[in-house]
Amino acid sequence: MKILMKPIEMIAWFTNDGIPIPLRYRIVSKDKTNIVVKVGKVVTKDEEKLAGNRMLIYRCESIINNIQKTYEIKYEIETCKWFLYKM
Amino acid sequence: MEQRIIFHIDANSAFLSWEAAYRIQHGEKIDLREIPSVVGGDEKKRHGIVLAKSIPAKKYGIKTGESLYSARNKCPSLTVVPARHGLYIKCSNAMVGLLKKYSPLIQRYSIDEVFLDYTYGNKNYMAAANEMKERIKKELGFTVNIGIGPNKLLAKMASDFKKPDMIHTLFYHEIEKKMWPLPVEDLFMVGYRTKSKLNSRGILTIGDLARQDKKYLCSWLKKYGLLIWNYANGIEDSQVRNDSLPLKSIGNSTTTPFDVETKKEAYLVLLSLSETVSMRIREVEKCARVVTISIRNNEFYSFSHQRKLNTPIDSTNCIYETSKELFDELWKGEPIRRFSIELSQLCSNDFCQLSIFDLVYEKERKLDRTIDKIRNKYGCDSVVRSCFLYSGIKPLTGGVIMEEEYPTMSSLL
Repeated sequence: MKILMKPIEMIAWFTNDGIPIPLRYRIVSKDKTNIVVKVGKVVTKDEEKLAGNRMLIYRCESIINNIQKTYEIKYEIETCKWFLYKM
Repeated sequence: MEQRIIFHIDANSAFLSWEAAYRIQHGEKIDLREIPSVVGGDEKKRHGIVLAKSIPAKKYGIKTGESLYSARNKCPSLTVVPARHGLYIKCSNAMVGLLKKYSPLIQRYSIDEVFLDYTYGNKNYMAAANEMKERIKKELGFTVNIGIGPNKLLAKMASDFKKPDMIHTLFYHEIEKKMWPLPVEDLFMVGYRTKSKLNSRGILTIGDLARQDKKYLCSWLKKYGLLIWNYANGIEDSQVRNDSLPLKSIGNSTTTPFDVETKKEAYLVLLSLSETVSMRIREVEKCARVVTISIRNNEFYSFSHQRKLNTPIDSTNCIYETSKELFDELWKGEPIRRFSIELSQLCSNDFCQLSIFDLVYEKERKLDRTIDKIRNKYGCDSVVRSCFLYSGIKPLTGGVIMEEEYPTMSSLL
């Protein structure tokens, strides 16, 4: 996987405990078109606090262009921003 | 009494490695710690000095505190990143938060240094130190040095031995081997002026200092001589304090973006410093009996002037008026690059002597408190004096962050 760290627009749901679970996101591709990706499965969820900054990392699987892909997305708690971290 | 076990935990090139960890978290591929890089102030505002450096930058002979201009001369490929104080506070809090799990006795000595009393810890101290170091590295993404000793001084000396990412011990029986061969300026509280004084009398290493006659040092350097003699022999017995030291003074200073040449501009700078410093003194509920101002001119000479007042003050206007008077007596008309105001001889603000000549005291007090409340609620720039409009001078100056105070270096352990 390669580090991309691209900001994405996200639809997520939050559990009763306040944990966000990603559902579907939109990313601007190289030719400036929007691509919508449905999160097929969240494989793992971890928290990191590098430099004291809390982020949730999700390893997910989706089918993009008929190919199953594994990738990682990050949620920065302080700013409420989502990123496509690695793919 | 059982021998104490004190840890001194010191983040390695703190500002730089915190910035590097933050960047890596945000997908940056280059680790600033592995290339010649520094954290520097804003050169346009004439704050262009090196605040922290990476280890590869150190190899070029770059020193903390030197100007970015001379640092670039030493290493043309130098990467300079701006300072981010909010991030540093977050990192520091995260580090203290992690360390609090190991001992309730913890003292924040500065933004990147912590003392921790592990005398009653439930693990072997070496194993505990190793675990702390590894957890900080893994969870927070930066490395620390841990010094272990029987008191705070020796722990601090030990953490300075070899960097980065190391644990060192310095117990009484190791002083002779590990600390005495070091040059005398490495000792805590020995600066470059004392160094030259001591060197002139043949005292070159900490060992030389420790072997001197105590009475001789005492008669030569007075109380300070005794202090450094004690330190050279590893004698120091202060406690790891959870609470902060009582305040002795409050001051703010600023280097102006341009040389100030007129009295009008100088007054504005003093007013904006008075705003900050008076808000701080009211915040801690104190009044000051002494006001000191100091200025540094364009040739880097500094002058200061102070006055003891008949009645203690905390109002912005009183502080401003006093500093204006002091400035008029001090200034000879040369361009100035740095101003500072300091308030000292603090006393409590609830019972203090009033002056029969201060008729507006109560009104002014109310006004100051109201403005403080508005600024705390809506931000520092919510209410500003109109004289600052279009002046090019910020309405409040001094300090790096208004929202949160953080511990700065102190000569007291």
